[in-house]
Amino acid sequence: MTVVLGIESTAHTFGVGIVSDEPPYVLADSRRQYVPEKGGILPREVAHFFSRVAGEVVSEALREAGLKIGDVDAIAVALGPGMGPALRVGATVARALALHFKKPLVPVNHAVAHIEVARFTTGLEDPVALYVAGGNTTVVSYEAGRYRVFGETEDIALGNLLDTFAREVGIAPPYVVGGMHAVDKCAEEGEFLEEALPYIVKGQDVSFSGLLTAALRLHRKGYRLSDICYTLREIAFSMVVEVTERCLAHTGKRQVTLTGGVAANRVLNRKMEIMARLHGAVYKPVDVRYSGDNGVMIAVTGLAAFKRGVTIDPRRAFIRQRWRIDEVDLPWYPWIPGR
Amino acid sequence: MVPLDPGEIVSWAGRQTLLKRGAESEIRLGTFMGLKAILKLRVKKPYMHPTLAERIVSARTRREAKVMVEARSAGVNAPLLYAVFPSAGLIIMEYVEGPLLKDYVGREGWRSFFREAGAQLGRLHAAGIVHGDPTTSNYIVSKGGLYLIDYGLSAFTRDVEERAVDLHLFRRAVEATHAGVASDAFKAFIEGYRSVMGGEADAVEERAREIALRGRYVEARRSVWGGVGEDEGEQAIHGNGEQA
Repeated sequence: MTVVLGIESTAHTFGVGIVSDEPPYVLADSRRQYVPEKGGILPREVAHFFSRVAGEVVSEALREAGLKIGDVDAIAVALGPGMGPALRVGATVARALALHFKKPLVPVNHAVAHIEVARFTTGLEDPVALYVAGGNTTVVSYEAGRYRVFGETEDIALGNLLDTFAREVGIAPPYVVGGMHAVDKCAEEGEFLEEALPYIVKGQDVSFSGLLTAALRLHRKGYRLSDICYTLREIAFSMVVEVTERCLAHTGKRQVTLTGGVAANRVLNRKMEIMARLHGAVYKPVDVRYSGDNGVMIAVTGLAAFKRGVTIDPRRAFIRQRWRIDEVDLPWYPWIPGR
Repeated sequence: MVPLDPGEIVSWAGRQTLLKRGAESEIRLGTFMGLKAILKLRVKKPYMHPTLAERIVSARTRREAKVMVEARSAGVNAPLLYAVFPSAGLIIMEYVEGPLLKDYVGREGWRSFFREAGAQLGRLHAAGIVHGDPTTSNYIVSKGGLYLIDYGLSAFTRDVEERAVDLHLFRRAVEATHAGVASDAFKAFIEGYRSVMGGEADAVEERAREIALRGRYVEARRSVWGGVGEDEGEQAIHGNGEQA
């Protein structure tokens, strides 16, 4: 049996997960999320918060798994992409654990981990994946050793679009209440506006900044906020589902998944489901427990990588704020714990 | 006989032989005025609000038909337009037979087709049109030469940015689907593009490189564009791992 402890600290969540290659696989999932009282996330404040909670999150995870650090075979850590100050906390903790307890250190790409945890929880072996989060909107599919980017946002991410709009019109923070985003809540009573908000798909890429500007303009003109929220969401979600559809058609794959922080969204899931059915493809989104950032996804990916001998010298395990998903070799693919 | 009522024509088109259900549309094979014809029927996306779905279908159909005509007169091998019904989302066009460029990679003379693909995109750009989705699935290697198809996302513009997006999309499609020969394939494509665009190509290529570096978490990376990332941990990622 191989057991890997994974550390996530790329954005607002400091997470530690412990995963083994035998049932029940997930032994621990411990996390703390930084929630700003107002406005957006400041990297320095996040890093400060992380360094305060890091120790207790690690011990909490070990306690939950009923393990001592000595029982762990390797330490995995998300070295990027993400915010520098936040990443440094996770990397420092991981390097310290690895050096002090003489454990191999496994580098993990955060974006790859979102896809891997989707494969882990859905059992889909080789899917087209739509990865949507606060800082990411990417359609990827495995081809020749790596996840290849088939489409992505040319400017802001889907999560960022929703958050920024909600903040600018004064319905957030908090951005999410009871598992529902402020824009979703506001859209409940809304209807589709005939006034054309721009729908911008260029090939397989999307662009959201024009949509954000136009939506804010309608708000200033006095349109009903619920209608704007409904229309904004309808257009933004349709755009990402359409590029996913293009990728499915281009690759000819038969499986689709949805992962990342926005993956729990019901409306988006419904659209993905209809799209997949249209192409006779199987659709399964990531288990909602692991849609947002967490340590389990880093441990799952770290375990797969470690079993293929992917490790890194702790003294050279630097963070990479902009580490692209298509730079990472995946020698374990399509293997994943549980397969 | 082909009915000319928009309502009837959709049901007529729907009865013709289905060749392919794409992301955008159904491609069917039929006969129009005694000619073998491709019927491209844009499907209203069932996952979109009906108003949005209709808006997209009608706008894309109209634009595609217009571009096909303009492209041909600019010397691009676009299928010949026979008829168009925007509100029905239907375009009837010449039937072009042959493998897709994406399936032709590795076959005899494939590089020359990539060169020709670049030249055709160049001619399109020179005529003030961008394609919008120039992947290797949108070129057909036919007896009559290479055809550039699917103008559904095309636009009339001479904007360097939009032209650069075309190059960027082609490069990425090549890297994604033909990783092993991406460098060769793209080099041939650019050669062809430059043969038409001449000095104008410099600015477009330069902008395409910028676009590749622009995404949210993008860093300069090794690719067919060349260029290597400068990051504090450049070597760190390769680690000392052995791959079993």
